[in-house]
Amino acid sequence: MQTVFHEDLRGLSGSVVEMGELAIDLLRCAMDAISTCEAEKAKQVLEKRKIITTMDNDIEEDALRLLLLYQPVARDLRRLAAILKIITYLERVGRYAGDVAKIALELGRESKITKIMSIPYMGELVVSMLEDSIRAFAEGDIAPIAEMSQRDDRVDHLRYAIFRECLAFMMEDPSVIEPCVNHIMAARYLERCGDHACKISEKVYYMVAGGRMEIR
Amino acid sequence: MIDDEEIIISIRDLNLFYDENQALQGIDMDILRKRVTALIGPSGCGKSTLLRCLNRMNDTIDGARIEGHLMFEGEDIYAPQADVLNVRTRIGMIFQKPNPFPMSIWENVAYGPRIHGNNDRDELESIVERSLRRAALWDEVSDRLQESAMGLSGGQQQRLCIARALAVDPEVILMDEPTSALDPIATQRIESLVLELKERYTVIIVTHNMQQAARISDRTGFMYVGEMIEYGSTKQIFENPQMELTERYITGRFG
Repeated sequence: MQTVFHEDLRGLSGSVVEMGELAIDLLRCAMDAISTCEAEKAKQVLEKRKIITTMDNDIEEDALRLLLLYQPVARDLRRLAAILKIITYLERVGRYAGDVAKIALELGRESKITKIMSIPYMGELVVSMLEDSIRAFAEGDIAPIAEMSQRDDRVDHLRYAIFRECLAFMMEDPSVIEPCVNHIMAARYLERCGDHACKISEKVYYMVAGGRMEIR
Repeated sequence: MIDDEEIIISIRDLNLFYDENQALQGIDMDILRKRVTALIGPSGCGKSTLLRCLNRMNDTIDGARIEGHLMFEGEDIYAPQADVLNVRTRIGMIFQKPNPFPMSIWENVAYGPRIHGNNDRDELESIVERSLRRAALWDEVSDRLQESAMGLSGGQQQRLCIARALAVDPEVILMDEPTSALDPIATQRIESLVLELKERYTVIIVTHNMQQAARISDRTGFMYVGEMIEYGSTKQIFENPQMELTERYITGRFG
């Protein structure tokens, strides 16, 4: 039996996936902007970030409406609860993408630092974590998020490595302090995005399996 | 794990037949003392039938036959030596439609103790007041106890029926869709009352309103075509049921 409620819930889930794809896309663009120093790309990210905020509000409103009208239970309730949390995490990812884009604007032109840093690699890792967490949500399958904890460890490790690397550069040459600090910040934002991928994964696990799983 | 001490009613392999039709199939369930247990399931699934087994209300139906065990405080209420009147005193029942007797409010509540031989006016006074208080009705009727019960609103009548059941000091109260004939405000009052009652009594409630089961019960049993499909903590049943059939029913995918 297919009810109006279940149709609406499916539509809402689709919107969450769309929001996830957009947030990931923004983060990817912001990373590109840092690598290529294209100010235009960074500005696009800052512009599109507003759409994420709108989606956050719209999805939340729809989710609350469904809770109010249908008082769902079991897997439907878990899905709505997961959605309400996931959109918050995605909105944060969107903001961090904006922050990374701002760093790209500040960096302005290519410097020797940009080439050395493992920031692009870290960005790829985080983007793939986010992609897998959204895929797990879309497909209701926990397989893509199985290794999330180990992947997050790698990201944390990279952030620290970047910090140490920058520290060495700054001691050697005070003129790179500004770009180095910016890179440390970017690494920090990426690391936070990785944490959000983990939080999304936890919610997907709850939605699919009903139990709690902590990724640390 | 459930402690034996906590179990007030223990049902083992209970089967009920109406002539050739089997209405209950191999029901196993332990009902916990001073908890609210809800029975849910689609119409005709046997939940009211099961409820009526608990105080032998099915005895009055021609062709009804029961197999299995239904232990209440360790004694089989279907044993040949079981005292049906005693069972029905200790296990009271509230029905879907409020059914007060066409007499005064006071008489309604005093009726049970009286037929049990209690004619002490002072004692009856105190039983009536205590029962009406426990049924959360005292404040609304204390100044008109001699008026007819038929003049009360539906919600008040239902609480009067609860007071009437409490007057004989039962241990278990069975409720068969007690709010289905009431408006939302009266329903809320009955629901709060059920939560208060479990301090002293064990409550078993059949309801069609799943949100009601989720709100007021500690444990929930989901029944389907005469079988107990799943029985567990209410949180578990409504947040993460283990059986696919339960999941499909409570999420409205069938039924």
